[in-house]
Order: sequence, then structure tokens, then C-alpha cells
Amino acid sequence: MANALLERLRCMNRIVAMMIGVILLACAAFVLADIILRKLGSSLGGTDEISGYVMAIVTSWGMGFALLELSHVRIDILRGRAGQLGRSLFDLFSMTVLSATITLIAIRCWPVVARSLANDSRANTPLETPLALVQVPWFIGWAWFAIVAWLTLVAAILLIARGEFEQSEAAIGAFGEAENL
Amino acid sequence: EDLSVVGSWSSLPLHNEYEAPFWTETLPAASNGEINVNLTTHNQMNLGVGDVYRLLGDGVYDVGMTVADYAVADAPELEGLDVPLIAMTADEARAMVDAARPMVTDIFHDRFNSHVLAIAPYPPQVVFCNHEISSLDDLQGLKVRASGRMTAKFLEALGAEGVNVSFAEVPGALQKGVVDCAVTGAGSGYSAGWWEVSTHLLPIPLGGWDSVVTAMNLDKWNSLSEDMQTLIQEQITSGFEDPAWASAQGALDNDIACLTGTGECASGEARSMTLVEVSQADFDKARGILESEVLPEWAERAGEEWTARWNDSVGKVVGVTVSAN
Amino acid sequence: MITYVSVGLLGLLALSIPVGIVLFLLGFGVDTFFSPFPLTKGLGNLVWSTSNNATLIAIPFFVLLGEILVRSGIATRTYTALDRWVSWLPGGLVHANVATATMFSATSGSSVATAATVATVAMPQAEKLGYDPKLFSGAIAAGGTLGIMIPPSINLIVYGFLTQSSIPQLFLAGLLPGILLALGFMAITVLICAVRPELGGTRRVFPIGEMLRALIQLIPIILLFTVIIGTIYKGWATPTEAAAVGVAGAIVIAAIFGGISVSMIAESVVGTVKITSMIMLVVIGASFLNFTLASAGIGRELSEFLDGLGLSPLATIAVVVCIYIVLGFFIETLSLMVVTIPIIVPLIVAQGYDVIWFGILMIVLIEMALITPPVGLNLYVVQGARKSGTLSEVMLGTIPYVIAMMVMVLALIAFPQIALWLPAALQ
Ligand code: NA
Ligand code: NA
Repeated sequence: MANALLERLRCMNRIVAMMIGVILLACAAFVLADIILRKLGSSLGGTDEISGYVMAIVTSWGMGFALLELSHVRIDILRGRAGQLGRSLFDLFSMTVLSATITLIAIRCWPVVARSLANDSRANTPLETPLALVQVPWFIGWAWFAIVAWLTLVAAILLIARGEFEQSEAAIGAFGEAENL
Repeated sequence: EDLSVVGSWSSLPLHNEYEAPFWTETLPAASNGEINVNLTTHNQMNLGVGDVYRLLGDGVYDVGMTVADYAVADAPELEGLDVPLIAMTADEARAMVDAARPMVTDIFHDRFNSHVLAIAPYPPQVVFCNHEISSLDDLQGLKVRASGRMTAKFLEALGAEGVNVSFAEVPGALQKGVVDCAVTGAGSGYSAGWWEVSTHLLPIPLGGWDSVVTAMNLDKWNSLSEDMQTLIQEQITSGFEDPAWASAQGALDNDIACLTGTGECASGEARSMTLVEVSQADFDKARGILESEVLPEWAERAGEEWTARWNDSVGKVVGVTVSAN
Repeated sequence: MITYVSVGLLGLLALSIPVGIVLFLLGFGVDTFFSPFPLTKGLGNLVWSTSNNATLIAIPFFVLLGEILVRSGIATRTYTALDRWVSWLPGGLVHANVATATMFSATSGSSVATAATVATVAMPQAEKLGYDPKLFSGAIAAGGTLGIMIPPSINLIVYGFLTQSSIPQLFLAGLLPGILLALGFMAITVLICAVRPELGGTRRVFPIGEMLRALIQLIPIILLFTVIIGTIYKGWATPTEAAAVGVAGAIVIAAIFGGISVSMIAESVVGTVKITSMIMLVVIGASFLNFTLASAGIGRELSEFLDGLGLSPLATIAVVVCIYIVLGFFIETLSLMVVTIPIIVPLIVAQGYDVIWFGILMIVLIEMALITPPVGLNLYVVQGARKSGTLSEVMLGTIPYVIAMMVMVLALIAFPQIALWLPAALQ
């Protein structure tokens, strides 16, 4: 069951990563179009504003994917010297702290959205972008990260309880498999 | 009483000459050491400019100050505090600000859970051009770097194109023709060397006066004794707000002299930009655009109630009436 | 407070909690123990403002650019071509690592992206040709750091953004020191391998015809560099926008000189998302920690400390350099910059130093931080591409290059013109 859960999470986050990747490409194309149009004496306007929103949304939604790929940097000095069980305990502790922290961040992000909704806030720019329009997806990204973190932790606990240390290390260990960056 | 104070841009004269001495010396001394201030600035905290009042309202610190225009995302009615081109001199700007103060107080009370203590000016936001201009009309078709929604809308109405360039990139952008003109404070433009890359100076507040509002978290304010409230209010008015305003016109005249070489320059070497005289026709045209396009659009954003209050206060002082289209 | 943060940082990192999370935890700690105000209430706004930032979008763009170069085969061919030119030197292929890193630095604004690109193409060669793994991987980790010195550079964009100084000027200022640093890396390699030839593997001399033919393989990279830097200096695009130009350029160049497919682009994009998120968690955490430290009065504490020493300008620079070397051991570099720039730079400028010059000096120190343990992103990136051996081999291998960087720091202080000559000459 734990493996099935992890597989499901990886699959979903891969789709998320693809989608935000497409957004990134679209953003690059948009910036490029603006540069070309400017040379032709016109302008789309607001590319930097939109780039900022894209960055916020890409960042929050990509976190869960990076977590499952073991990309968030950890220092291996003590952990690397511990035995198999010791490493698992390091990993469990680290994951618990991460999950709790991310949950707190997600909770603290909500008032930002709520304030923008309550004030019907609009960006101080000619575009007058309604802030909630971009902050809601950003907030859900952090909430998603928190959910992914807790579910991964549960899966890892199940694996360790069954003694499947290698599987758990693959899920919440310190490094991803070495691969092309 | 420990006060945590977040100031405006740490690199600008308003902070260095007025804010910092007031909060770290004048006020603690006037309170006989009862008030103890921890002062930092929003740029030193790496805060987003739009966050200063939001966090103030949440009680993250006690006193916050920044350009009111940065907060209009949360309060479109606040744009009415700083309308471009309706106050030409520091005295007119002060009259406008004083008329708007009750409005601003209510806005900060409702939107940001805070109490307004003072409103001080940044130098007026004037126009530097690397392009020959002789009147406001000549901005038509030019690419102008400006910030803030109302200024951008005004430029649009004028037929100019607003371009977003960060302050540090402006000289390069002017030189290469990425922008033809850029709006900033005359003093900032002088010290940042904009005169090297621009030829004409249009000394009118196209970007308004960028009023800086100092406010205290409302819960904190209410927790203070009445004596303490009176002390702080009196001190900030006489020890910070009045001096800041008193020097505003002189600073503007000096900065323009420094940029154009048309008078005594106390800041350093005088430069030789061409000073563009602004004619009555220019003002009339600006007024016309404001009244027919820019302000009615704002009235829609702000709503009827605020428009009416603005007409009764600021509008009376500057002789402008806004009606929503 | 500074002691608390330093000790807490080391302790939490040793527990192998992710670096980004550690920064948040320290921020919570500063809030709890050193500030009477509910700073954590500002967390959401901080996270939003830090990530809603058009400058930072250059990070994913540069990472994506590197991914495309690797996956289209252009990176490997550049490496092979440079190998033809520099492998006759004592140290052989190690010089190819530095040279390739220098070339890629001219198209990438990120050190991690540069190191990753070079490591991916170089590592398979090391074992085949019998190189000492320490020096070989150390050269990649160190060479990769040039990515933020030779323009374009995300770190210089961030520096320009935080200090309100001109980014094109900073880019010009970084060019000469970047090239000198690369030459310094090669010089110290020659020195080491002249004394201990067994570290360098076989020196190989290629026929001149083959060398000249290899030059053709450099065309894609030179083209890409020209496109990116050209658009900035022509005034067509801002430095940040130039990163987007670079992505488009990389796709076009990959299509012409390499190969390109939908699945390859998809893989590149997914890899980009991964690395970007990794970097951003650290950047956001650092931003929050900075916010709590500033609120709790670290700026005053630091300036009082430096003022209290009553130092001459030169001694101040010496102290600041030491601060950065020490902090650089265990703070991630972008966060190190975000946390310290608003505090340190005004003090330095007040002492009469040039803000552009200090930016370049800081970048050398930041480069050093990238390859010093325990927290050195490039060490991990190179180790990740190695698939065998221990991390400490990479760490040992970087020591000669850290020395070269130290020399560069001294040179910059003694001769500020190294950084300032080019921007002034082109004014
Ligand atoms: Na670079
Ligand atoms: Na380090």
C-alpha cells in the first residue's frame, strides 16, 4: 500500500511538474514576444508583472515534485555515518520537521489571500490584476506541498515499520539517484 | 515603551535627515527616555513595498512608513491622496495633503488597522527626457518610465507609452533609447547621474509627490495612555512632519538648479540640462485630461462614497471636481 | 543573536534537515527568543513577495538553457572540442573541465546549472582516462562557480536588484575577473600536476588539423553567448529578459546543431522545475530569516560591531571578507546574499568603496562558499553526477581552487581596476 501511495504521488507530481513547465515555456515565449514587439514600436506591457506571478506559482507547485525527487538539499555528515536504522530515523525526523514547517507556511499564506479577497485588491499597475486571481493558485500550491509531505511521511513510516529500509530511503533519503541535471 | 519602527527607503534624504533622527533621538529625548525605539527600514528587511502596511496592521511591528501609493493595491481610494499635476509647489501639495488627511485616517483605520501619525513628502516626481521636448504635448508617442497606476494611466491618456524599468536600469535605458523619458524625484535623478544620459528636464510633478504616510498599529495606539498619545502626536508633527515639509520646496529648487545650472546648487556640481518651461496651456491640458479621463476612472475604482468625500475635501482645495463616467 | 543563529544553523543542518527548512526554523527561533513582536504573522506576505519576483524568473530560464544544451549533445561536443586544445598542458583533461565551465558560464547565469552541465559531460571521461578523482571533480565544482562571475549572472542580478546598482555595469565588471579566475584555476592545476604528474592523467597532444576542426564545435556556444549578451548591450532586453532570450536561443541552436524532440524538451522542463524548487525553498527561507533578523535589530548589532571596531576602510574590508568566508562555509549562497547585502553594502559604500567593485568582490567570496563544506551546493551537484566515490574527495579536490580564489580576493582589493576598468573603458 505504501509503495502504491508513493507511486501515485510521484505520478501526480510529475504531471504537475509538466504543467508548470509548460507555463514556464509560455512565459519565456511571452517575454520574447514583448521584446520583439518593442523593437517594432509597440508593447504587450506587463511582462515583468506576469513573470512575477508565474515565478510564485511555479515555485509553490514545484516544491512537492522536488521533495519526491529528493532534491531539497540536506547535509549528510552525521546521517551518512549512521547505520541503516539510524539513517531511517534521521530521515523520519527530517520529514516530520519539514511537513510541520510547510504546513505552518501554508496556514500563514492563507491570510494573504484572504486579505486580497476582502479588499478586492488589485495590483498597483495598469493591468490592475486582481491579486486573488494569482494568489489563490499560489496558496493551493503550498497546501499541496504540505499534503504531499505528510502523505510521503506516512508511506515512509509504513515502509520502515515493515523493515523495508531501502524502499524508505528511496522515498525520503538524502539524495536522489544520480542523474542528468 | 518599546517601539519597533520600520522606516522608508534607507538611502533617501527623508529617512536619513528626518525619520532616523526623529525616531532615534528626538522622540526618546522628549519622552525622557520612556520611549525606546528599534528602527529599521523596509528595504533593509527586504519587505515587498506593498507589504509594509499589511504587516503593520497585523501588528508585526508598531510603526510603519512608506509611500502611500505602494498600498493602493489594497485601497484604491488611497490614490486620491497623490494625484499627479494638481499640486505644483510644496505649499499646494501640503494643502492637498492636509485636506486629504481625514480621508487617509479613515482609510488606514479600516483597511490597515492603523492610526495615521504623519504625512510627509518625497520630492515631487519630475520628468527626465533624452529627447527634445518643449511642452507636455511632446510626450505624446514617447516611451516613458513611470511607476504607479494613476501616473501610468495619465501617461496613457496623454498618448505616451508607459514602460517598466527598475530604477538602477534607467540610465542605460535612457542612453539606448529603451525609454525616452523617465520619472523620478529631482534629487534622486541628480545623485544617480541621470543628467548624464538625459537632456531635457520637465520640472512638473508628473508622478505626484509620493507622500509618505507614517502610521501606528491601531491596537498599539489604543494601548497607549492619552498623555503618551498626545506626546507622540505633538512631537511627530513638530519634529518630523513640519521640518520635512518646510525643506521640500527649497530642496526642489536646489535640485532643479543642480540639474540645469539655473541657480545656486548646494549639493555639488551644477549640470546643464535644458529646463523646459511649462506653459499655462500645458496645465490646462493636463487638468482637462485628469478631469475627463484619469480621475473618472479612479472614481470607478474607489466608489461613490470616497469620490464624494474627495470632492468635498481635496477637490475644493485644488479646484477639481470628479464625476464618475 | 548571531551566536544563536550560527550554532542553531550548524546543529539543525547536522540533523540533516533540508537547508531551506532550517532557515525557516531559525527564523521562528529568532521570532520567539529575540523579538517581542509576532513576526511569524508576516510569514505569508514574505513568502508571497519573495517568490512573486520577476528578477528571479531568470533562475528557471538559465537552468532550462543548460538542460537543453546537455540533452541536445551540444555540451558534450563543446567539451570534446576544448579537450583538443588544452589537454597538452600538465593536468590534461582537468583543463578541459575549467575551459568548458568558462564557456558555459558565458551562457548561464547560474553556478549550479554550469557545474551540473559540465559534470554530466565530463565525469564519464575521468575513469576512462585514469584521472585522480579528487582534482578532476574539484575542477568541475570550482569551474562551475564561474557561472555567476562571467556574465550573465543571477547573483549579480540579485546584487544589482538589492543595491539598486546597474546590472549591465556589474556584468561588464565581472568579465575580466571571471577570465582571470579561470586562468588562475588552470595555472594552479599546471603547478600541481607539474609537481605530481600522477594526479593529472595522460597529457595528450592533438594534430593541429584536428584542433582547428574542433573549433567548429564551439560555434553553438559562442552564438548563444552573443545572442544573450548582445540583446542586453543593444538595449533590446533587460538582463532578466535576456534569460528568456537564452532559452529561445538554446532551443533554436539545439535544433540546428544537435537534435531536439518533444520528449527531450519535456525532460528538460521537468528537470528545471526540480532544480528551481530546490533553489527557491532556500531563497524563501533565507528571506524569512533575514526579515526576522532585521526586525530583531541585527542591522544595528552588525553596524555597531563594525563601527565599534573603529576600523580604517581597508581593515573594514578585511573584516567583511572574513565574515563572508566564515558564513560561506555553512550558508547557502543566494540566501547569504539576500541576508547580508542590505546590511553590509551600505556600510561599505559609506567607507567610500565603489558599489560595483564590492559586488564583484562579493561574488568571488560567494563562489568560494559554493565549494566549501559543509554547505556547498556545487560539491553536491558534482558528487551527484559522479555515481561513485565519496563527497570528501570532491571537497579535497576543490582546495587548490579555493586558494586561487583567495588570491583573486587579494588582487581585487589591491587592484580594484581589475573589476572597474572594463565598465569605465566602455562608458
Ligand atoms: Na554566467
Ligand atoms: Na560553503
